[in-house]
Amino acid sequence: MGLSIIWYLKEFCRGTWIKTFLFAKTAPLVDPPYFRGYPTLTGKECTHCLSCMMICPTPGAIEVLCEGETWAPKIFEGHCIRCGLCIEACPEDVLDAGRVLETQARDGTSLSVRYQVAVNPDTCVRCGNCVVACPVNKEADPQLSATGTSANDEVIMRIHRGNLWVFHDEKCTGCKTCEGVCPTGSIRIARVAEGRQGAEE
Amino acid sequence: MKKTVDVAIPIGPVHPCWKEPVRIKCETKGEQVLSVEVELGYMKKGIERIMRGRPWQEVMFLAERVCGICSVVHNMVFIETMEAISEIEPTERAAFLRVIVNELDRMQSHLIANFSYCYTIEHETLAMYLLNEREHVMDMIERITGNRVNTAYMIPGGVRYDLRPEDAESLRETLALLEKNLDRYMRIFENGPMIALRSRDIGILTKEDALMAHAVGPTARASGIATDLRTTHPTYRKLDFEPVVRTEGDNYARIMVRFEELFRSIGLIRRALAMMPEGPVRGGGICKGGEIRYSGEAPRGELTYFVKADRYGRVEDIAIQTPSIMNIDACTHHMLKGVLSVADVTATFISSDPCIACNER
Amino acid sequence: MTGMLQKMKNAVRSRSIHVTYVDTGSCNGCDIEVLACLSPRYDLEQYGIYVHNNPREADVLLVLGCCTPQWEDKLKGLWEKIPEPKVAIAIGNCPLSGCVFNREGSYVNPPASKHIPIAASVPGCPPRPTEIIRAILSLAPTVFKDYEEKRE
Repeated sequence: MGLSIIWYLKEFCRGTWIKTFLFAKTAPLVDPPYFRGYPTLTGKECTHCLSCMMICPTPGAIEVLCEGETWAPKIFEGHCIRCGLCIEACPEDVLDAGRVLETQARDGTSLSVRYQVAVNPDTCVRCGNCVVACPVNKEADPQLSATGTSANDEVIMRIHRGNLWVFHDEKCTGCKTCEGVCPTGSIRIARVAEGRQGAEE
Repeated sequence: MKKTVDVAIPIGPVHPCWKEPVRIKCETKGEQVLSVEVELGYMKKGIERIMRGRPWQEVMFLAERVCGICSVVHNMVFIETMEAISEIEPTERAAFLRVIVNELDRMQSHLIANFSYCYTIEHETLAMYLLNEREHVMDMIERITGNRVNTAYMIPGGVRYDLRPEDAESLRETLALLEKNLDRYMRIFENGPMIALRSRDIGILTKEDALMAHAVGPTARASGIATDLRTTHPTYRKLDFEPVVRTEGDNYARIMVRFEELFRSIGLIRRALAMMPEGPVRGGGICKGGEIRYSGEAPRGELTYFVKADRYGRVEDIAIQTPSIMNIDACTHHMLKGVLSVADVTATFISSDPCIACNER
Repeated sequence: MTGMLQKMKNAVRSRSIHVTYVDTGSCNGCDIEVLACLSPRYDLEQYGIYVHNNPREADVLLVLGCCTPQWEDKLKGLWEKIPEPKVAIAIGNCPLSGCVFNREGSYVNPPASKHIPIAASVPGCPPRPTEIIRAILSLAPTVFKDYEEKRE
């Protein structure tokens, strides 16, 4: 008993103990620079390609909104899970969080997303709604008929001889308008993402 | 002999000892526990159902939110399942980086399991020491991946971020610090007389019972079953990994297995850092269709993903088998049977490291 | 006299906050971040915030998780057990919006404010311990200030 009191007194008289007792500080309440927080705008111009919205895994976390003349992505706190995929998917480096952009520039990593139109021929009723609704189709062929037939080969898809044909998958921007207008739910857009490193092919 | 039940004591669903809602009904005779029933189902969210029809970049985030404690391994096993379906090989550097992050995640998971046990048996000093060590591990995970929990680090063909040289240096320093501190804490646990009173010979799971209940992970390894799926993982085999096995099968052994695995993890990370080649971290590769069953070793045991994907790489059907359900079963039917005191029920239950969020998804 | 009493109450209440938390179906990520606030590094108790697991002695209820159907009645029951003055804080995305789980076909019923009144929220999936502590600290001096007057 007596020895242990002496031991404790000795322990408390040590310089390091006194120093830690008097000057111990808890960690400051700041986030470290490598923490991937909410994406913030870097000030670069948004081209309204909606890549960030297409890759976002969370419902309602990001939207590209029009502010006056320019478009800018807006992050909704409370929905965003801070995964950082929108930063990687953005071709214009509009968003940044933590060290994501820096790392991406250093390693040369990128995330490429392709969209593939998958039509289930068993349930498709060939109404042509998707062909008419598709905004890319409208640009490619303004004379698109209401039944979905078209003489133009530049459209993504068209009704030809009573069937829905998909010609140009690669033009699809992934907006999923067709999914919304399809009466039978037989058209689906598959988003095929691929993480790459090095020079673009 | 007809058993006479005095009182049926419900523990939970909101209880100081478990952080997650689970209800245990103990039928007691005096202080002795005769039988135990577990009531699950407070956290069912239906994750597997909402995973269907989604591409990997969305399922990945749902998969790691199956369990927040071992989120990295859920991510890793899901991505490796998709790679096995699509025949993608991760680049060599990425394979080692995955091991490093997975082992860091395992360390923090084991630390929090041991923290919970020490907290439950009211050894708060050791609990807080362990929680403090966990912060160092979390710092390292945050440095490498950018987030503390739910890191979203792995993608098919590789990982998202490379390990920077300065981060590797601080990782080595942290490992040295952790090894020094954890050695001290393990000795506190090993030699503590009060801890021994609460842990030794309590909640015994014999080898036969463990085999019968299909116990997995540290719970099985504490009962003398050398089961560890890391021995069959290609990257871990390069790092010559040996599982930790103890034979006592009580609470003490389960905690000590986790302590010893912490040191194995430190060794694995060191070897991985030394063996890691330079090169790209993303190999690319597009997910294809197919179906496969793939297992990996989570901190709590064997984690199995069954994935059926369509030809665009979208998940058509998915089934997740998490380790905790077997351990909870082993715990209720074998460990808790004949526990001499109600106070040991919580400690024994925590020592098997149940993860309710994993179970119910 | 009553003003003096109120001031004393305000001072005491802002420096001694007892917290309990309830997990209504989270993924454990927010749980362990709340737990990490207790760790010696962040040391929640130095600010006079104590984590209890007993709702009957708590002032603040931290709601985690996306409110599964099993919790609908239990969360209300838990809320009624907390003595006045009381507030509820939603931690993480799940009680605010349901996070990634709020999809067609899942068994969740967010937001938590449907079930109990939520005074403040800490978004993030999961929020860092620093964010949780910052939120609680910014809330601490004001949340119970003049509680009796406000109620009337």
